[in-house]
Amino acid sequence: MSRCSQLGLALFLFSALAVAQNLQEFEKRVTEFTLDNGLHFIVLERHDAPVVSFHTLVNAGSVDDPEGKTGLAHMFEHMAFKGTPDIGSTNWPEEKKALAAIEQAYDRLEGERRKRFHADPAKVQALENEVKAAIEKADSFVVPNLYPTIIEENGGVGLNAGTELDSTEYFYNLPANRAELWFLLESQRFLHPVFREFYKERDVVLEERRMRVESSPQGKLMESLLATAFEAHPYQRMPGGWASDITSLRVKDAEAFYRTYYTPGNISIAIVGDIDPKQARVLAERYFGRLASAPLPPLVHTVEPPQEGSKQAHIETPSQPLAFIAYKRPDQYDKDDAALDVMSGLLAGGRTGILYKDMVRDQQIAVTVGAEGTFPGGKYPNLFLFFLAPALGHTIDENVKVMDGLLDRFKTQEVDPQALARVKTKTRADLVRRLDSNSGLAQLLNSYYVNYGNWRKMFTDLDETDKVTAQDVQRVARQYLTPKNRTATYTTQPAAEAKQ
Amino acid sequence: MRRLILLAAFVAGALTAQNGAIPSYKNLQYPPLRSVKIPDVGTFTLPNGMKLYLLENHELPLVRGVALVRTGNLFDPADKVGLATITGMVMRSGGTATKTGDQLDEALENIAASVETAIDESYGNISFSALKQNASEVLTTFRDVLTTPEFRQEKVDLAKTELRSGIARRNDDPHGISEREFTERVYGHDTPYGWRLEYATIDRISRADLQAFYQRYFFPANVMLAVQGDFSTPVMKAELEKLFAGWTAQQPAIPAFPPVKTKPAPGIFLAVKDDVTQTFFDLGHLGGEFRDKDYPALEVMADILGGGFRSRLFQRVRTKLGYAYSVSASWGANFDHPGLFQISGSTKSGSTTETIQVIREEVEKMRTAEVTDQELTSAKESVANSFVFNFDRPSKTLNRILFYDYYGYPKDFINQYLAGIQKVTKADVLRVAREHLSPKDFTVVAVGNPAEFGKPLTTLGPVTPVDLTIPEPRAEVAGGAQKP
Repeated sequence: MSRCSQLGLALFLFSALAVAQNLQEFEKRVTEFTLDNGLHFIVLERHDAPVVSFHTLVNAGSVDDPEGKTGLAHMFEHMAFKGTPDIGSTNWPEEKKALAAIEQAYDRLEGERRKRFHADPAKVQALENEVKAAIEKADSFVVPNLYPTIIEENGGVGLNAGTELDSTEYFYNLPANRAELWFLLESQRFLHPVFREFYKERDVVLEERRMRVESSPQGKLMESLLATAFEAHPYQRMPGGWASDITSLRVKDAEAFYRTYYTPGNISIAIVGDIDPKQARVLAERYFGRLASAPLPPLVHTVEPPQEGSKQAHIETPSQPLAFIAYKRPDQYDKDDAALDVMSGLLAGGRTGILYKDMVRDQQIAVTVGAEGTFPGGKYPNLFLFFLAPALGHTIDENVKVMDGLLDRFKTQEVDPQALARVKTKTRADLVRRLDSNSGLAQLLNSYYVNYGNWRKMFTDLDETDKVTAQDVQRVARQYLTPKNRTATYTTQPAAEAKQ
Repeated sequence: MRRLILLAAFVAGALTAQNGAIPSYKNLQYPPLRSVKIPDVGTFTLPNGMKLYLLENHELPLVRGVALVRTGNLFDPADKVGLATITGMVMRSGGTATKTGDQLDEALENIAASVETAIDESYGNISFSALKQNASEVLTTFRDVLTTPEFRQEKVDLAKTELRSGIARRNDDPHGISEREFTERVYGHDTPYGWRLEYATIDRISRADLQAFYQRYFFPANVMLAVQGDFSTPVMKAELEKLFAGWTAQQPAIPAFPPVKTKPAPGIFLAVKDDVTQTFFDLGHLGGEFRDKDYPALEVMADILGGGFRSRLFQRVRTKLGYAYSVSASWGANFDHPGLFQISGSTKSGSTTETIQVIREEVEKMRTAEVTDQELTSAKESVANSFVFNFDRPSKTLNRILFYDYYGYPKDFINQYLAGIQKVTKADVLRVAREHLSPKDFTVVAVGNPAEFGKPLTTLGPVTPVDLTIPEPRAEVAGGAQKP
């Protein structure tokens, strides 16, 4: 596409060249193919060491959780480690029957519970015991954690998965000679998932929520921010979902989610390392070719209505003060995306960001001032987020007042050209530094492909950044950092008498 | 008959590869792993005594380096805990003889480079990273930060503000509380391994203290500098030689780090935090060193107890009981002093006591019966098959050589470790569990809301409350300074 900016400042000419070379270099080493069923592969050869990184990105995440069943995408991600009929069972035909029996007992239990005030407590108790017995029976056929154990025994490292609002990822690294094992295991978990140990795993997922959200002041404040900022769009909740929804999730919900969203056309795979792309293709056809093609899942149609005024929320916590202040911004496909990223670098990047210099370094009223240009996801209109932790003896109110003053000045005074050049140089250098690891690269290639339809955008994006002018930054600051667009959430100390 | 089968196979293959049966994972055949290229690290000593470790790596246009300095917060004076940490912070932020820290910030960020300084428990760590075309400029800044830090007063004040705010915030995160209380109790509050920063210890530290601390520990013969990236070794060597030619400071050799002298601190310690829904816990006691002869067997033991997905704690506490998202055990050896044998996790308040009970049972099982053949094989294969990841990036080889040298370990220690793992038997695992795990000496720390524990923690034994009150600096001034 467009060649790197000839008009660019001499200052970053060298790094611009380096990145252009990287793109050319990558073109030679990348092989891309799509199977007939729609599953896409990106293979990047890197033969320095006999290891390979694998990254699977599913273009579905917690935003796709059905209403009342939040946490479902995350729940399925956990189930994807539970094995298949062939992996993890001592007797699949019997286990299958036992799993069906759990669901029948659970249906009866829910039927009784649904009577609410007319439910018979003794009957509920008896049915709960039936469910428990059915679970114990099914568990007796399970070889627990066999699926991840096979990966660990074969030298797999960095095994994990993550559910975000926009997408879900699965990843690990293997010694290069065992690459075929990944093709087998990864294809089988998406071809024949078994929802075994579902209700125990639901408890584990709840524990994860308690750990990440309920027992962390940042987690609680973040949950409050999203719930306050978004009135309609599913960005209104944390990726893990609500506790009461999680407690009610059923196997049939997870099966339906899997059938709808884990279709080959909605999944992309990146492989980086010591692998022959021709062989990778043969293995991809053999193992993943049997995934049946299916229509793409629906998009989220809910559009967040325009915000009509500034919003504020507090959570009480005995912790030291924290604040999140967020402004509505458009999605990552908007023409202003690059300018918003540059603005976040100017305000809060490194030790030269405007907010850091003033509030942390010079006035010493804050210990942390951060900014995130795109939050909590990018596929849909989202938030430009500020994070504040006041220094000991200073308040949130004082900090916010100073920050607002700095933002007002930012909107009226044109930004220093050197600062602008600095942010652009850093963006380039950050990319070069990220090219160092197989697993990081796999994640990067896949993410650009899934989000923008082309992995090359990880390089061509830099051209967009280069084009951003001081006027652009000032314009987006004025346009988006407005009181009407704002949601502020703070922590407050519990009132003294309320504590007693 | 034979022809028919062949024909069937041929037809199936010809129709579409998709109809071929998928083999079982057990039947996959793997070719031998291609041997790993272990990069050459050039080692040199400059005339001033500074050691160099140079590794060419031309894949990306970057040059990076780290200087290890023999110092550490283990050398903090007891009444000025935090001195090494602040020195490490202000070495960079306080600027050099010719530039303020703020000027360095701008100059470095203008070229997307960094120079960072920190002093850890048992080493100082001065690092830089630069795009290739700026390497010389950044190396000069790195040299200046390492050799002529100015420790300007306003940055001493800033560092103290940051540390004070950190102290004020130290009881906000339950996981952090548990980790801290466990570590300090096991090593002992009155030892350099277990004491903590307080407002009072920070307040006593002055710029002169930082300068004196710096002078004592930062001299060429006390520095090991590793540089890697897109350069030619002779050119880089010559450049560094020239750059550091004028640095001739001398100091007496640095004494050994203080030994760990501690008695077990058995007991159950509860820190109350009523704004959480989970209890965070840590339990265990002192561990050992990498060089111990039982280290490989202890690693296998800890891996089977609480290593990965296949470990006993993961299987029982997480998968079977659904009590935890996170639960793990590690032997936690160190290079030069005993680390911590530590079991950590978190569970909903209501299952706190049950979870700790179950963990204790699993520890007891490790000490009373041999592990299974399958567990042993699984643990060994996992180490052997993943061994290549110790060499998958040249930087890992460089870092390993650097740290082995710093702590006096042989260059091939990692291979000795692998060989040691392969020799471990079931009897070894049982023996080391009996010899090295002592549940009666366990320090158990729990942080949570006991009002919701259900079964009280006292079921497990007497419970000592942990006082989380943060001592105010003024109280000490009013009451007269206590000299430890």
